[in-house]
Amino acid sequence: MGVQDAVTSKLAEVPAGTSLALQVSIPVYLDVIKGIIDNYGARSRVSIIYVTSSIPSRSILSAFEVLEINSDHVSFVDCVTHTMVSAVEKGKNIYLVESPTMLENLMLKVEFLTRKLSGGKVLVLLDSLNSLCIHNSIGIVSEFLHIMVNNLRAKGVPSVILMVQEHGTEEVKNMLNVCDEMMVLDEGTAK
Amino acid sequence: MSVAARKVIAQDIRERCTTGIDSLDSVLNGGIPRGNTILITGACGTGKTTLSVEFLIHGALAGENGLFLSVTEAHEKLLANMMPYDFMRKDLLDSGRLTFIDMPVLYHKLGLDKSEFTLEEVELLTDSITKLVGEMGVKRLVLDSVTSVCFQLKSEEKIRDFVLKLGKGLAEKGCTSLLVSEILPSDMRYSTYGVEEAIADGIILMGNYERRGDLLRTLQVVKMRGTSHSRAKYVLDITPLGVLMVPLLKGGGGGGNAS
Repeated sequence: MGVQDAVTSKLAEVPAGTSLALQVSIPVYLDVIKGIIDNYGARSRVSIIYVTSSIPSRSILSAFEVLEINSDHVSFVDCVTHTMVSAVEKGKNIYLVESPTMLENLMLKVEFLTRKLSGGKVLVLLDSLNSLCIHNSIGIVSEFLHIMVNNLRAKGVPSVILMVQEHGTEEVKNMLNVCDEMMVLDEGTAK
Repeated sequence: MSVAARKVIAQDIRERCTTGIDSLDSVLNGGIPRGNTILITGACGTGKTTLSVEFLIHGALAGENGLFLSVTEAHEKLLANMMPYDFMRKDLLDSGRLTFIDMPVLYHKLGLDKSEFTLEEVELLTDSITKLVGEMGVKRLVLDSVTSVCFQLKSEEKIRDFVLKLGKGLAEKGCTSLLVSEILPSDMRYSTYGVEEAIADGIILMGNYERRGDLLRTLQVVKMRGTSHSRAKYVLDITPLGVLMVPLLKGGGGGGNAS
């Protein structure tokens, strides 16, 4: 089974409120994102709350265009764009958080969007745990993850916590233990 | 069952006035005990007025009449700020569920256009507000701000008299009230005159919390008679869906600076 199909079928089978940890290697990163956004989100009519602390939302949208991924059902919580020196251009369905260190504000934006989208199915994607750890201490990111995942679990909203394998330390990997299920996605394999 | 345990249960069965702000109601174990007079205190820009207005709107949506007494800001300006809320409905104003009164208008009607009130005039003011609450069937009241009213009372005695009589009169009518108090970021107390905080049934402190250069809006319930409650600090956001709150993260250790 390919990486995209593996992610899609896993998301389709997990119960409501499940948190899924994905350890993703760089070569399959875009395939995984495509699997979540396009194969699962667009086809199953699930709104995706895409929390990005790695790449500005505008750049992700540009990549989606190139890959012909429909992004109408995606709302971004973007804590990267504000940290860039250039002028900030805010787009539709993009919610900016001033800095990746403002983890509470990140949770508040996710809370706002889960309420706003509460009429239909929603999935929260955190991309990525590694990048949050660049700006924050392990302790505060662990606390953030614990609170956010439990909050979403209580509401029955599934979440995907993404970690890039090549940048993952033991401490970051340990943080993923808060999740209910774990998948390791390498080139050509899905475990 | 011990006396202390019975006391805790008795406290928690008091009828609640839900604020409509889910996370705040959760912090308060169901809401503000009905009839309490609460001091909403904090520096400017911390969200005191916004939170108070939301409290009134949720009450009005639940069929409880709300009254906003504005000392510092004209009500037209306040109303314009309320309209972006997804849950605000203009018919709440048209039907009289929500009423906004500018205090200078009330002062003028009572002949209180002066810089300082006497004890008798303080009584006239509290009686008038209480009477108004009774006539209009008000169940939720906001006075924004009690600091501005106290400015015209000058002495501690008159301030004590005003807050005590107002709180008592409103409680008798089953009205839950929020008194907005303005303090400086550097203040080490919860009210400008120090009297209001001692008399109020509850204190909700709103502030700014600086952590490594980030400024977070915070809320903390410091005191609330008639209910057990969390005393932890929460971070809040003002959104079109109303005030949202999440716990302040502590994993980063110390170094924060509250104001």
